[in-house]
Amino acid sequence: MKADKTIAKAWVKAQGRASRSRTSVVVVLGLLSTLLGLLQAWALARTLASVLTRDTDSTGPAIGVFLLACVLRVILSTIQDMTAASAGIHARRRLRREVLDRIIGEGPALLRRHHSAAIAATLVDRIEALDGYFARWLPAASLWLVSQWLVVIALYVENHQAGLILAACCAMLPIFQAVFGIATAVASRKQFLAMNRLQTRFLDRVKGIATIVLSGGTDRETQALAKSADDLRQRTMKVLRIAFLASATTDVAMVAALVLIVVTQAHTLMGHPSDAVLTRALYAVLLVPEAFASFRALSAAYQDRAHATAAAEAMHELAPLTERTAAGPDVLQTKGGISVTAENVSFAWDEQRGTVIHDVSFVLPAGATLILEGASGAGKSTLLELLLGFVSPSQGRILFDGQDMQSLSPRQISSRISWIGQKPVLFAGTIRENILFARPDASAEDLDRAVSAAAVDQYLSSLPDGLETRIGEGGFGLSGGQAQRIAIARAYLKDAPLLLLDEPTSHLDPKTEAEILVSLKDLAKGRTVILCSHSAQARQFQGWHLVLDAGRAIAFTGEAA
Amino acid sequence: MSAPLPTNPVAETGSETALSRILQVWRPQYTRLITGMVIAELAVCAGLALMGQAGGRIAGAAVGAGAAYLLLRLSGVSQIVLRYFERLYTHDAMFRALADLRVWFYRKLAGGAAAGLGFQRSGDLLTRLVSDVQTLDNLYLRILVPLVSALLTLPIATLVWMRAGTEAGLLTGALFAVLAFILPLMGARLSRRFGPDILRAESELRIAALDLTSGLREARAFGAEDVLAAAVTDRQETLFKAQRRQQTRMALMQGFAGLIAKAGIAVILCAVAGLLFPQAPAIAGITALFVAITVLEGVTGLARAGLLSGQVSHAAQRIVEIADRAPPAPEGNAPLPAGRDLRLENVTFRWTPDRDPIFRDLNLTLRQGERAALIGPSGAGKSSLAALILKAASPEQGRILLGGTDITTLRDSDLRSQIAWLSQASHLFDDTVRGNLLLGRTDIPDTALWAALDQARIADVVRNLPDGLDTWIGEGGSKLSGGQGRRIALARVLLSDAPILVLDEPATGLDAETERAFLETLNNATEGRSVLLIAHRLTGVEKLDRIWRLEDGQVISSAC
Repeated sequence: MKADKTIAKAWVKAQGRASRSRTSVVVVLGLLSTLLGLLQAWALARTLASVLTRDTDSTGPAIGVFLLACVLRVILSTIQDMTAASAGIHARRRLRREVLDRIIGEGPALLRRHHSAAIAATLVDRIEALDGYFARWLPAASLWLVSQWLVVIALYVENHQAGLILAACCAMLPIFQAVFGIATAVASRKQFLAMNRLQTRFLDRVKGIATIVLSGGTDRETQALAKSADDLRQRTMKVLRIAFLASATTDVAMVAALVLIVVTQAHTLMGHPSDAVLTRALYAVLLVPEAFASFRALSAAYQDRAHATAAAEAMHELAPLTERTAAGPDVLQTKGGISVTAENVSFAWDEQRGTVIHDVSFVLPAGATLILEGASGAGKSTLLELLLGFVSPSQGRILFDGQDMQSLSPRQISSRISWIGQKPVLFAGTIRENILFARPDASAEDLDRAVSAAAVDQYLSSLPDGLETRIGEGGFGLSGGQAQRIAIARAYLKDAPLLLLDEPTSHLDPKTEAEILVSLKDLAKGRTVILCSHSAQARQFQGWHLVLDAGRAIAFTGEAA
Repeated sequence: MSAPLPTNPVAETGSETALSRILQVWRPQYTRLITGMVIAELAVCAGLALMGQAGGRIAGAAVGAGAAYLLLRLSGVSQIVLRYFERLYTHDAMFRALADLRVWFYRKLAGGAAAGLGFQRSGDLLTRLVSDVQTLDNLYLRILVPLVSALLTLPIATLVWMRAGTEAGLLTGALFAVLAFILPLMGARLSRRFGPDILRAESELRIAALDLTSGLREARAFGAEDVLAAAVTDRQETLFKAQRRQQTRMALMQGFAGLIAKAGIAVILCAVAGLLFPQAPAIAGITALFVAITVLEGVTGLARAGLLSGQVSHAAQRIVEIADRAPPAPEGNAPLPAGRDLRLENVTFRWTPDRDPIFRDLNLTLRQGERAALIGPSGAGKSSLAALILKAASPEQGRILLGGTDITTLRDSDLRSQIAWLSQASHLFDDTVRGNLLLGRTDIPDTALWAALDQARIADVVRNLPDGLDTWIGEGGSKLSGGQGRRIALARVLLSDAPILVLDEPATGLDAETERAFLETLNNATEGRSVLLIAHRLTGVEKLDRIWRLEDGQVISSAC
């Protein structure tokens, strides 16, 4: 937990550094704005003093300066807003690139640890939530102290007494923050957690609402919900009572500064004060809110900082960035398949779960078929993931045509294999795009050939727009068999020498299963095939059999099965 | 069967009624909510008095008027105290209001659309709705409180300003009104104009991201990571473009608000100086000027609240829309019949009028104690049968009878005590094993829990968990394997004495072998009850008396 916090802190710091140049533009604009604020206050004080001393000659120019400063300041803060917004966009773009690279670098092994929706949420929502951190918090955090003391010094130069009072009150802020700030930080973190917990609970109950309603638990759950919401309120309010004290201390500092300055300055004005004395007194009063404005901006952005910590924790769970090896040109023989050799392969997902593949060896000649058999949990899927290069063996090696997989780049591995799993993932897009995904530069003839070889064309006519029908999220729903045919078409289009099949028909009804198996057998011709399957499907294929039991190869039988 | 979110621009009238519905839900909290607003306004007034006094005292000293600082100190202390209580009180009121809203929404969801939504498996839609409820805390704290307080401040501040001259005072009051009411309205319009674009771009980005993450295996196997990543970055640019448009407009509007605030200050300043306006008395004029600076700067930010109001009303509308969906079937109060035969007579059903019917004139009878399967291709809507039987949906035509009594005449709770439901969508709660089995009931002894777990063949696994029945199983049962989670859900169903079990694709999503093992468990565990198994295929291990095949909305074979 503590280590996590340190990592989060380091990450947050690194983010601050990476955005420094853009942040500093916003900060410089903010400083200019503070300077204009000083000019504005001075011109206003000058105007009022001239009115009070009936020195009407200088009134006009002073008002002119005041209005000019006002307009300039508004323009400046508009530019500041836009710059801050673009700093936010720039930072999010950079972060998303980084997270994308991490996800791709880690690859499918990531899905073993995280749900795909959770990774997508990190990629989209977590990063979007960081906008305020980069656009508001970072500039405010570097600006507030400088801006505040700029005002204090400017006042001191003109008006020593008031300047000292303001300095004393501003100096109280860090002390107050140290006293209450720690309590606030702890409190807001606790509150954030409690809030999150209730939110999670509510979401969980809403997602499971059908289950609750159908088991007659609505009333019980509603009452429980009301009670937990009320508990949370009471606990949160206890915490907020302290947290708001911290904000109240800012008010105390400002009000104290204001009252003290007014009382002391009014004292100096007794009798008929000169124009200059009066200007300085008014200047002092007008600068008090200005001195606290930057700190208020910081407090307003405090929530944005919490998002950054949460995001840091989420990113930390993704893998660190790894260098992707650039794929060199790769000529390979695709006709007739490639040979696959496993030499004493062992694999463990992690130490706790122990070794799941023990010392497995086999030699599969080019063009042959290997059927993996074994009970659930025997290691078939893991072996397949090793062959796909999603993970690497802890010990031993796998060779494609005599080349160690370790020496191949992910791209080189993927150019050698086609893979059809239990359920293909269809992407949001047209059927054409979903098939071309396997080889974006394929010609129209190649695509047509793949479509007819996979018998996709058999059902195209029943779809609203044929090949251009949109499928996937928000699109037309395809049946399991139709989806599997798209996967087969992808494999045809890719035309790789090694075909890996992971229970490709286990989710299909018997009639569709039979049809798909026919297509798969066609696809298998002239390729090396490794099939992971239960017996009913395996009967359709002939070849070598490798039987796994608890991660060990207990039988490896020949072609004549 | 995902229900897409409505992304149409929100009609003004629709969002207004939605907001007023939310306000109605908050009726029991009105006293608190209003008290919070009053305290907020008092705090504003104290701040206004403080600055006014500060200016007035200095001016007074300069012209040699008496110097009394009591009011200054008093307003200073009041401001500090009132601000503190304002924060505390408004937050407390908001928490109460939000809790009421959650409970109201939950009850509505449970009574109406819930079951239907559950069957349609729109988990994402529900997630969105839950965060919509959360968004509504802004409605009170950031929109209503500042707006009402601005409304109350307007006459008070105008009166102060009018002491510096009637015309100047009224003019500044008018500028204040523009800042506090017209600019936020423009902000709201801006958000209505760009909000939908941004929402659409966000959801496109989310789809692209989900394509990449759920398709990581495909991406690696086909070497197509860059294609999918490019889709993400493309969508991101579209989103940024939409955001930038809104941000630019917002910044310009904020600048405009700043100019108006300065104009208001300038008007009073001119009155003080005797330019353009008749010269104001010095003390009253400078007091008015300091008040103008405080008050006008304070409401400059309201334009952003307008922007927020667009999001809030969007959220309110989605919530009200879902909550107001009528319950699928009316509830009767006929006594439970003695028989347990389940009969569907000439049932025609579709989820929405614009889709093809899922069942056409369907006739089925499941006799007491019988085990039957309804087989049909995926996506044919077989799950709707479970929804119909459990009154989570109601047929367009025809009727459904339990023991000869039309189920629409039965109490929902009576019906559901007789029919238990297990499906892929059966939810495992982020709770303990015990909590998941009991779902809030307190009348069941542990021995019964263990018996159910035994029947579901998961008792050994639970016994080996670190805290046994009290082990937390994680979100959606994430600390268990898929098959184990399904068995916990089965144990929960077995715990009920319901004589009829509806098993709706109970093993979907499990890998092929876990699925077979689970179905084998089902054979034994459900002995003695009527079973209706809904599936897209049979694995061969199911024990059945009958098999119905569903094609084109009708049962075409009924043999075994």
